[in-house]
Amino acid sequence: MALALTRKRLRLTGLLSPITLLLAVFFLAPLSILLVYAFLEPGLYGGVEWNYYHHNFGRILGWADGEYEEFDPVYMSIFGRSFRLALTTVAASLLLCYPAALWVSRQPDRWKSFFLFLITLPFFASLVVRLFAWVLILKPTGWINETLMALGVIASPFDMLYTEGAVVLGMVYVFIPFMFLPLYASLEKLDRSLLEASGDLGAGRIKTFLRITLPLSVPGMVAGSIIVFIPSLGNFIVPDLLGGAKVLMIGNLVEQQFLQARNWPFGSALAWMVMVAVLAFLLIYVAVVKRADALQES
Amino acid sequence: MGGIFGSIGRRMSGSALLLYSALFFAFIYAPMIIVFTYSFNANPVNMMSWSGFTFDWYRTIFGLSSKLTEQTMYVESTEQLTSAVANSLIVALTTTTVSTLIGTLTALAMARFRFALKTFYRVLVFMPMIIPDIVLGIALLIYFVTIGVKLGLTTIIIGHCTFLGSYVFIVVSARLAGMDQTCEEASADLGASPYQTFRRVTLPLILPGVVGGALLAFIISMDDLVITYFISGVDSTTLPVFIYGMLRRGIKPEINAIASLMILFSLVIASLGLWFRSRSAR
Repeated sequence: MALALTRKRLRLTGLLSPITLLLAVFFLAPLSILLVYAFLEPGLYGGVEWNYYHHNFGRILGWADGEYEEFDPVYMSIFGRSFRLALTTVAASLLLCYPAALWVSRQPDRWKSFFLFLITLPFFASLVVRLFAWVLILKPTGWINETLMALGVIASPFDMLYTEGAVVLGMVYVFIPFMFLPLYASLEKLDRSLLEASGDLGAGRIKTFLRITLPLSVPGMVAGSIIVFIPSLGNFIVPDLLGGAKVLMIGNLVEQQFLQARNWPFGSALAWMVMVAVLAFLLIYVAVVKRADALQES
Repeated sequence: MGGIFGSIGRRMSGSALLLYSALFFAFIYAPMIIVFTYSFNANPVNMMSWSGFTFDWYRTIFGLSSKLTEQTMYVESTEQLTSAVANSLIVALTTTTVSTLIGTLTALAMARFRFALKTFYRVLVFMPMIIPDIVLGIALLIYFVTIGVKLGLTTIIIGHCTFLGSYVFIVVSARLAGMDQTCEEASADLGASPYQTFRRVTLPLILPGVVGGALLAFIISMDDLVITYFISGVDSTTLPVFIYGMLRRGIKPEINAIASLMILFSLVIASLGLWFRSRSAR
């Protein structure tokens, strides 16, 4: 008996040690070093000085050492813009996906899986390529402007690329599956008899939607919003390609610190602030889900 | 009366939803269709203004001579492109093998054993998928530089494995969760060793999940830009990083052709993967 237990323990250790090793050495250790770096002093020529230094955060949040790192409100405004654009992306993709998810959830089973396949497929096409497609569509000599001018609708091209709108459009576009799938999941398992009961009791379609469908799909809406919010907030590819130098987000700022300004401690501090924001949103999500579960059980 | 109006209302809102959904799917696919169509555009000056049909951009990227490119000198080095594709394939194949192995082992441990640290492991395995990829990318960059590892294909492979193991874990776990454990128990009761049970019973049953997870890992690895961007060395560019660089330097018509080929390639692999996953879900 004892022997069997030891064997079992041995097998478990064998199964778990690869992931443990991988994540300890190449995930937890790098994140810890990132945290350490956020509290180090940047060296003059791109390196670091190994002493404790909190002005990397001061530069962002509003205290300065007055000597080397200055507080600059521009960082807070970039944070503000990132939150604004990420939240706009969440709202826009929610509005865009909800009716389509509702429609797909009401199709016969065979068609459902086909439409889900259509939704998931573009997710696998290269991200750069999908964004590049939007550059081609939006730029001054792009598809929209060329088409409208050929049709004689407009006389001269108008600027769509390198605007906040273009960045939101790009993020909504690449994150559609992230919003659609959770929405669909909550709409699909919605009990149809509730809708029928509501109709039988004399509620109109709008009332049934507002009182039954919408409240019951809240978990899907919350899940989709979180999953879209997380990659939007720290994004730097979309603002880089569709926003240009005009629409900087935190991700661009972090990238600049690492590959151009070579101020790694400051970049690490920025990155940790993104992480903390994301984790805060996740915790809120977990709390909401737990409360919803508790409500359903009671 | 109310019934009639109700059914008319239902039909109208039904067709409004149908129309909306048609537009929704058009919105998803139109950009890719536009890129694909204009990859055959013969206009060397403005690639979005149609002036005729040509295969020349495709000839260019495969290093064949073509009239257009000789006229316009648009050629981005075919050698660089080929080496980027080769790097991407090396990285994706290695990563897929390693992360499929690690992810599957982890899924087996989590599904078949009870142990004290289970919740900790569940959170730990989810973490790499949850944190923003730019954070993981720069954390790995600092780490490799600090411990003195030269950036190159190895660092890219390691970086991809840190988060792809988790993806494989999810897919295989889903398969294991839907699986009947009685076959394994029967096998053990009939005197098969744990290894024999695994080899003859468990593995064949979870195989669709493992293959699905592997394909998912392959496609994500092939497409990863952000993490690779930070931890690839100078001479170890992958395809997405190469294209990203090309886009930053200015857009040239042959990118359309490269983009179209990439879309086709990923769609084929993804269709295979989703097909396997839908089979494993059954």
